[in-house]
Amino acid sequence: MGGKSDVWQGTLALMVLTTLETIGPQHGYGLARRIEQTSGDKLQLNYGTLYPALLKLEQEGYIRSRWGASDNNRKAKFYELTKTGQRQARKAAAEWEQTTAILARFLAPAQE
Amino acid sequence: MRQLRAWIIRLFATLHIGHTRSEIDTELSAHIAMNTEDNLRAGLPAEEARRQALIQLGGEEQARQAYRDRATLPILESILQDVRFTLRQIHKSPGFTISTVLMLTIGISASATAFSWINSVLLQPLGGVTDPGRLVVLESVTPNGELVPNSYPDFIDFRKNLKLLDGVAVSRPNAFSVGREDHAERVWGELVSGNFFAVLGVKPEIGRLFLPTEYTDTVNSFPIVVVSDRYWRSHLGADTSIVGKTIRVNQHELTVVGVAAPQFHGSLPVVSYDLWIPYMQQPTLNSVNEWMLRDRHNRNMLGIARLRPGVGLPQARQELKALADRMAIANADVSQGMSATLLPLAESPHGPQGLLAGPLRILMGVSILVLLIVCVNVANLLMARAANREKEFSTRLALGSGRGRLIRQVLTETLLLTACSALLGIAATPLLGRSLKLLMPPGPSQALIAADARPDLAVIAFTAGLCIFTALAAGLLPALQVGRLNLSSRLNNGGRSGTAGRSRNRLHSALVTAEVALALITLVGAGLFAHAFEQTMHVDPGFDPNGVLLSQFYLNTNGYDVQHRKEFCRKLAEQMASTPGVTDVAYSDGVPLGFEPSWWEELDIEGYPRHLGENMNIFRNVISPGYLPLMHIPVVEGRNFTEDDNETKDIGSIIVNESFAKRFFAGRDPIGKKIKGWGDTFRVVGVARDSKYHYLNEGATPYFYVPFRQIYRADMNLAFYVRARGNLNNVLTTLRTKSHEIDPNVTVFDAAPLKEFIGASLYPQKIAATVMAVMGGIAILLAAAGLYSVMAFWVAQRTQEIGVRMALGAQPSHVLRMVVRKGMIVTVAGVAAGMLCAVALARAVAGFSYTNSAMGTQSALLNSGAADLLIYTASAAFLCCVALLACWIPARRAASVNPTDALRTE
Repeated sequence: MGGKSDVWQGTLALMVLTTLETIGPQHGYGLARRIEQTSGDKLQLNYGTLYPALLKLEQEGYIRSRWGASDNNRKAKFYELTKTGQRQARKAAAEWEQTTAILARFLAPAQE
Repeated sequence: MRQLRAWIIRLFATLHIGHTRSEIDTELSAHIAMNTEDNLRAGLPAEEARRQALIQLGGEEQARQAYRDRATLPILESILQDVRFTLRQIHKSPGFTISTVLMLTIGISASATAFSWINSVLLQPLGGVTDPGRLVVLESVTPNGELVPNSYPDFIDFRKNLKLLDGVAVSRPNAFSVGREDHAERVWGELVSGNFFAVLGVKPEIGRLFLPTEYTDTVNSFPIVVVSDRYWRSHLGADTSIVGKTIRVNQHELTVVGVAAPQFHGSLPVVSYDLWIPYMQQPTLNSVNEWMLRDRHNRNMLGIARLRPGVGLPQARQELKALADRMAIANADVSQGMSATLLPLAESPHGPQGLLAGPLRILMGVSILVLLIVCVNVANLLMARAANREKEFSTRLALGSGRGRLIRQVLTETLLLTACSALLGIAATPLLGRSLKLLMPPGPSQALIAADARPDLAVIAFTAGLCIFTALAAGLLPALQVGRLNLSSRLNNGGRSGTAGRSRNRLHSALVTAEVALALITLVGAGLFAHAFEQTMHVDPGFDPNGVLLSQFYLNTNGYDVQHRKEFCRKLAEQMASTPGVTDVAYSDGVPLGFEPSWWEELDIEGYPRHLGENMNIFRNVISPGYLPLMHIPVVEGRNFTEDDNETKDIGSIIVNESFAKRFFAGRDPIGKKIKGWGDTFRVVGVARDSKYHYLNEGATPYFYVPFRQIYRADMNLAFYVRARGNLNNVLTTLRTKSHEIDPNVTVFDAAPLKEFIGASLYPQKIAATVMAVMGGIAILLAAAGLYSVMAFWVAQRTQEIGVRMALGAQPSHVLRMVVRKGMIVTVAGVAAGMLCAVALARAVAGFSYTNSAMGTQSALLNSGAADLLIYTASAAFLCCVALLACWIPARRAASVNPTDALRTE
């Protein structure tokens, strides 16, 4: 398992939002796998923490869910972005980019 | 916003907890199944595939718990559990529940009612006005410091010169007769200055209020009227096209220009008026002479003003005082020594608040006392119950329940009980609120009390606060008791009383001590107030009000001028005098000891050198010749008025009282001396014995009488007295018939026995005494119940011990003595503590006073005297007797314990 990092505090919501924006409606398990794939299997995701995070986003109105059938015809809950969710995804991404850009300025001289 | 949305969703999820759970389970099992399938596909053996899936999820149960915590509100969930459990408990012991809720309801509803009265009388006195916090009353002040209404010319000066006020308005309560002559109805309204509504900031419901062009000082130019919402609905059929139509008021057509907003009921607290008519319409409506409106002597207008934003009361008061001082110099002939001041609305001496403010504060205090006693009682009951449930609590503790959770459980139970009571209490407040009417003296003010007593937001908030306070006060001790439970000893010795029992008994005793102390305070209070009331009752008013019927006529509403009114009175008096059983008949302007402003006249007395700045305004009454004999006020020198003291005489007659004679004619014979007043000259014809004029506790007051026929004016009132043997109701019937015979249109008057009417000035003391007596009774009952329940519980717990003692040879009388002694120790401790508190509280309450006349004079509700000691000892002795009885019953039970039965229990 070495070499994998845990998910940083507060970034899971952003990952969920951007992932849903890219792939459209998806169930919890699919979403978890997709996030791991996107990270190039660099992230160690505790699946149990994903569900409360999804629920929080849903309660806040950024995503909505409905029951549907998975590829294997299993009953599963599918999540998708709402309008406000799309806006929030873009906003959060922009904020995050700004944050990393600022951090990069601190780290860049040290690398030179 | 998003946070709130999330909370609401979680709240609903908590309420549908079953559905929420099954959804979570379905989703998680789908997740595990999909993950396992993937792992199988990756080549793991079946068992390992599932194991890896669970590991990645971080444990199925943990994941489920985390999910559920986010889906619902875990705190709420456990509270709901507590509530459900409590409801089951309540269901199991209905007796306990009913008695507790009943007690709490008494305590809470008494306090809530007291608060709702205070709220409507003192805190939010005027409804439907803008920013009532900046409204103040404007009062003229006599050189003796009495508060009196204002004259119209003074009002014009105030209005013109006061820069710190955002407008000054005046009003005058007035009875009108509305409708055609033959079926006219009396309606109370206010004669107001044109800017009245603008200053108060009232909005119309339909139509308009008075316009700036109507803020005029010229007479009879705007025959218009604004009606109240109440009157519009009850008498005008809520007709929206009423605006522009006319109604007939005092035989004159007035155009309705609008209906005031529903919450607005006039410029006096808790009094509801129905009509508002420009003051300057008085000459047509009330046959008042025009010059009277220009007369600075004619002080009959209540002033109300609005402070400019950012201006404090002291500042505005200073400006007003400076102006009033200048006016007193400029109009020295009428206003010498006069001043003026501003007061908060609740401190106005006119209207019911002056009467009620003191008694209401005491009522509030006593209600809180009773509530405290109730809290102590309920705490006792809860603790006794907790003792019976110790096994249940111990078991829960042993099974891993947190102490915090147990404490919360007990508090939830208490809160649920108090919440039930608070709901009952709020439901009862409209009923109890209506009884505010009963607190008012009979007469017009009682009929006018606004009956609208729906609990408003402030009352509900207060009751909710009270509910939480009660729950904490009553529940905290029992809850902490449960929190301190010692697990091992409890489960081991099977609930037999050990050390924990002793500390609990100490707590019980402390609570009962507190209860006895509180009861003593209420009891002593009741005694003190009753004593003060009785003392005042025994003051001799100097006249005899028994067997006299007082009627008040509003003849101006029938379009009568002064001559007509005098004629009517003379005829009616003649008719009544010839009725069998009637011994005396009289009429006058003012009623002694009536709760109404009294009038005075500035006199110039022959042979009396007036000091610089001396106040020569002397109170007076305008009376018929029959007045003094009817009142049994002896004329000690000279003669009484006769029918010859009439309009035809060049020089008027005057009768002065003894204090007047002593002050102004010291040593000289007053008879025949000349006195100037009303611009005329009068000759003293007699001296009457002093009596009480404004309130019973007043000192010797110079006073004089002038003949009705010589001085009666259009703006004066008309009180008609009949002294008769037998039933006054029959006299009233005769009076109605006779007045109807003289003029069929005169149907409109108030009547009451004089004895009742003059009781007005006694009302505050009477209310205080009655309220204290009722509350004292409740307090004693509650304290006795508390003492009884504690002793009974104590005996029940000791049944075994008592059995052993008796088996070892203790006599029943020993046991009896032991139990009674135990109870009495607690009682005596309580009495001692209560005594100290009562003495301190009585000192504090002695400062409470009430307005005892419409002149703003104050009188103490409590006048301490030598009887105090007796009241204290008697209360203590009485309480001890009640306590003895409360201990006696359980003690008897203990003494009759059969040793073998007692030892066989358990």
